[in-house]
Amino acid sequence: MTGAIVERKKEEVSSPQHGEHVRNKRVFVPHSDIYETKDSIFVLADMPGVNEQSIDITLEKNVLTIQGFTTPQEVEGLKMVYCECPAGNYRRVFLLSEEVDRDSIEGTVKNGVLKLVLPKSPKAMARKITVKSE
Amino acid sequence: MDFKLLPSKWLNKKGGLEIRREDSGEHRAEYQEEHPIYSLQMEMNKLFDDFFRVSEMPAFSRSLALSPFGALQHGAVTPRIDVHETEKELRISAELPGLSEEDIDVSLSRDLLTISGEKKQESEQNVRGWYCMERSFGSFTRSIALPCEVDQDSCKASFKNGVLTVSLSKSPQAQANSRSIPIKRE
Repeated sequence: MTGAIVERKKEEVSSPQHGEHVRNKRVFVPHSDIYETKDSIFVLADMPGVNEQSIDITLEKNVLTIQGFTTPQEVEGLKMVYCECPAGNYRRVFLLSEEVDRDSIEGTVKNGVLKLVLPKSPKAMARKITVKSE
Repeated sequence: MDFKLLPSKWLNKKGGLEIRREDSGEHRAEYQEEHPIYSLQMEMNKLFDDFFRVSEMPAFSRSLALSPFGALQHGAVTPRIDVHETEKELRISAELPGLSEEDIDVSLSRDLLTISGEKKQESEQNVRGWYCMERSFGSFTRSIALPCEVDQDSCKASFKNGVLTVSLSKSPQAQANSRSIPIKRE
């Protein structure tokens, strides 16, 4: 039995760190992957129901905030029978280190997944140091 | 007192099996005093009951009767669903972030709707290190037993921003079967 596979539930933001929520909706923490290549850091976040217009990314000093707003489906005249995915927005805050080049951060959304590319600044790039013989 | 490997509530005072009586509150209280482990036992039973319980909506429940281990078989990529209905239509939406419409397969056989697909891991070449891995990948299948008969030819599905929506129209018989019951005032 694959006991190790645990289904991750949608987590709600536990406590608003920067003040109270003013929208009458739940806020979820999108599940994210973060990985690094030679010259960039990639962040992938699952945000089903979000498109490029309804996503908001802000960078304030070291704090990168991603917010996604979902538009409720047209449910006029429809009756909810069963619900596993309650409506809500997404929000997650990341703290960036000095090695990220702040001016060239790029974000794309495809099929409900946000992909952020955070290029490393030239200063932070790993470089080889050649050893000379004397 | 010797404890046997039997739930304490099955045993009577002499240690023999007894048939549980739901109605007598006194009876229960008696046991609670006698066995200090009784409350723990009750907690454990509740835990097991909750674990194996089929959801209140058996029609859409994740632990379908079709799979012997029901809830245990669902991996991490199994999509979450919402079900809406009108008198004529049944609309099922599923959250599938990171898939495209080519990766998803929707099929309908009588009253069983099956959504299957594969979510592939999309990462660049030459990954040096992972800092956070919360998203999951792999193939999934989820079968949903529909609560009523549907018109087999009218199944429509659309995919937008990681959300799959399947619309099914109810068959005329199923529509006729539902009626509201007037409530009289006495």
